[in-house]
Amino acid sequence: MIAPVIALILQAAQPAEAPLPDPALEARAQALMREIRCTVCENEPVSQSTADMAVDARRRIREEIAKGASDSEVRDFFVSRFGQYVSFRPPVEGWTLALYAFPFALLAGAGMFMGIRAFGRRKRDLAPLPDDRSEGAG
Amino acid sequence: MIAELGHLLAFLALAAAVGQSVLGLTTGGDAVRRLAFACGMFATLAMVTLIISFVRLDFSVALVAENSHTLKPLIYRIAGAWGNHEGSMLLWCMVMAGYGAAGAVFMREGALRDRALGVQGLLTTGSFAYLLFASSPFTRLTDPPFDGGGMNPLLQDPAVALHPPALYLGYVGMSFVFSLAAAGLINGQIDRDWARRVRPWALFAWSSLTVGIALGSIWAYYELGWGGWWFWDPVENASFMPWLVSAALIHSLIVTEKRGGMASWTVFLSVLTFILALLGTFLVRSGVMTSVHAFATDPTRGLVLLFGLSIAGGAALALFAWRAPTLKAGPEFDPVSREGALILNNLFLAVAAALVLVGTVTPMILQWLGESGVISREAASLSIGEPYFQLTLAPMVAVLLLFMPLAQAAPWRKADLNPLLKWLIPAAIAAVAGAMVAMALGGWGVWLGFGVLVGVWVVVGVGQDIFRRLGPGGLGRVFRLPLTVWGMAIAHIGVGIFVIGATVETATRSERTFPLRTGEIAEMAGWTFQFQNLEQVEGPNYSALRANILASHDGRTEIIQPETRTFQVARTSTTEVAIRKTIGGDVYVALGDQLREDPSAWRVRIAYHPLIDWVFGGAGLIAVGGFMSLVARLRRKAPAEKPADEPAADAPPVPASAPA
Repeated sequence: MIAPVIALILQAAQPAEAPLPDPALEARAQALMREIRCTVCENEPVSQSTADMAVDARRRIREEIAKGASDSEVRDFFVSRFGQYVSFRPPVEGWTLALYAFPFALLAGAGMFMGIRAFGRRKRDLAPLPDDRSEGAG
Repeated sequence: MIAELGHLLAFLALAAAVGQSVLGLTTGGDAVRRLAFACGMFATLAMVTLIISFVRLDFSVALVAENSHTLKPLIYRIAGAWGNHEGSMLLWCMVMAGYGAAGAVFMREGALRDRALGVQGLLTTGSFAYLLFASSPFTRLTDPPFDGGGMNPLLQDPAVALHPPALYLGYVGMSFVFSLAAAGLINGQIDRDWARRVRPWALFAWSSLTVGIALGSIWAYYELGWGGWWFWDPVENASFMPWLVSAALIHSLIVTEKRGGMASWTVFLSVLTFILALLGTFLVRSGVMTSVHAFATDPTRGLVLLFGLSIAGGAALALFAWRAPTLKAGPEFDPVSREGALILNNLFLAVAAALVLVGTVTPMILQWLGESGVISREAASLSIGEPYFQLTLAPMVAVLLLFMPLAQAAPWRKADLNPLLKWLIPAAIAAVAGAMVAMALGGWGVWLGFGVLVGVWVVVGVGQDIFRRLGPGGLGRVFRLPLTVWGMAIAHIGVGIFVIGATVETATRSERTFPLRTGEIAEMAGWTFQFQNLEQVEGPNYSALRANILASHDGRTEIIQPETRTFQVARTSTTEVAIRKTIGGDVYVALGDQLREDPSAWRVRIAYHPLIDWVFGGAGLIAVGGFMSLVARLRRKAPAEKPADEPAADAPPVPASAPA
């Protein structure tokens, strides 16, 4: 009487590691698995760990995606439970927006400054200088 | 006795380093050279005594007792000498003194050598003082144990046994570049001759750093059991920052050497590289973060490192601020020229290094602020990982690489862009075709297409440049091309191959975890895997659980055996993955845990890593190219003493050889 019930429960508890039938959804799920941190591991995403937390997280991600959740809804789901720490992707809002912007701002700023200076002083009478063969180019 | 001898040798090295720095910075002369050589010898012999203690399993030495074990195989007993904090500090000291000795042997005499050896002596003094007074590897135990504590089993691996020496040749090699920069500033002579003499050292350190990083990456790929070769982990970033800055340095040194330009920027980079190497060491060793490298988390060690970093960095930057205004600007050049291209290269690499720095330290600073109560825990909770660097660093590097073939082919002083662009049409066609093929095979991802486009553009463009340089003689002249050109070409082609491999691997790898019972079958990437059984296997210092899995592919079958090893002494376990190489990539099988719910089933992780060998092969080519350029410099005799302030710019202008 009890045994079949336990077997049923076990079957239900079996981790569904099967991929989602739709390859596009599965690809999205796998991408998300790579950016959610395994909280019991040392700096690993859940995609790569065999720890129970990671198995549960992978199942959860597939479930949410199958239910039609967007990528950011899945991220929010984990962030609301474990904090921003759980996501390897800093949010593109608030002050962390600056993290995304500063390299490009730096590049553009320094590049513009140097470019304007260099082209402003540009001389027309310079001629190309061939490589000195004995010295090579490097 | 042997540990006491080592202790004595370390003190002798310290004494020699003190003498070396005092004489090097004052009178100079031949005594400096002899002291630097002696310091290197003493340091090397001290390391040898420590290795002997490890090989002989002398458990009366505290370090051996803590980190070795009778069951450990010989190669890991040797590598165990640097697989811990104190031993690796001694290795650091040895490499630093070794660079001084190498400078004493290879540099021609003069003020640059004396001052450089003097500054190197100061750094060596600081390192040895720290070693001897804060982390001596030679301490004896009054009551030696029968057996040792064992080594972190993750470190029992050939790649990781060689990873620290290679990485230190790179990291610490930057110390000698730093010393040469400080010496040049003290002498007030940062010119073409200075750059010509610094370049071999920078090339050697940078190439070694490349090897060290690649070895660490290979080790992470197969030893950590999850098949990642780079994870933007702070430890990895700590080595990547000095790599980026020294990559900028070896390019700006070219401008300084060939044209006498960018002198102050070049010397600034020389200083910055070593500061970043020290910062990396601080991040890794101080226990600011947990990792396999933080052997013991002792905050005082971090403070000492931070102190040394501030002194060395502050002094050098002060020196720089004092002397930089006196440095001469180079001859004029048009923005569209090889000079201009190399400046662009430096701009991108410097911003990339700043990006990695901010991405690495921001979460640490936030965590620290959170723990000290300045901001709330929630506000302090942040991770910066792969998605961030993919969105910021990857496009930046891609744009930089679009310029690479142009930069290689552009003449000095002034380039005509139009013929160059026309000449590169074949590379552009190949790049677009390559991107199309990759996207057709691997799914229509923008990243995939863009990465392969850039990679193919670089490889074909660099190949075209080689053909252009061969000139009308064609292939017959292959062996006539200067070795420096080959070094550059091979390193640049390595970058292209690496980019293709890294993009394809990241965009199209697949991984799945299967719960398998005996007899059950998993299918992945055209392979079938039948789980046969598990067996218990005893190794020299571990016991392993080995899975026998029947793998079939294309009608061929073989047994593959992933393991998990449990090390009794260290009470940890490691994963030994089974990897099968195919032309397109690696099939990667790792044995995981037993299922909670069903003890008869085991999790087996099966992954397919396409073009993974391109990643490591590309990194290898980058290092080979660097070493080739170095050999080319060493083989070339010093140019006849022509006045250094008469740059090649005064040569009569000759029309550039028309691109083929």
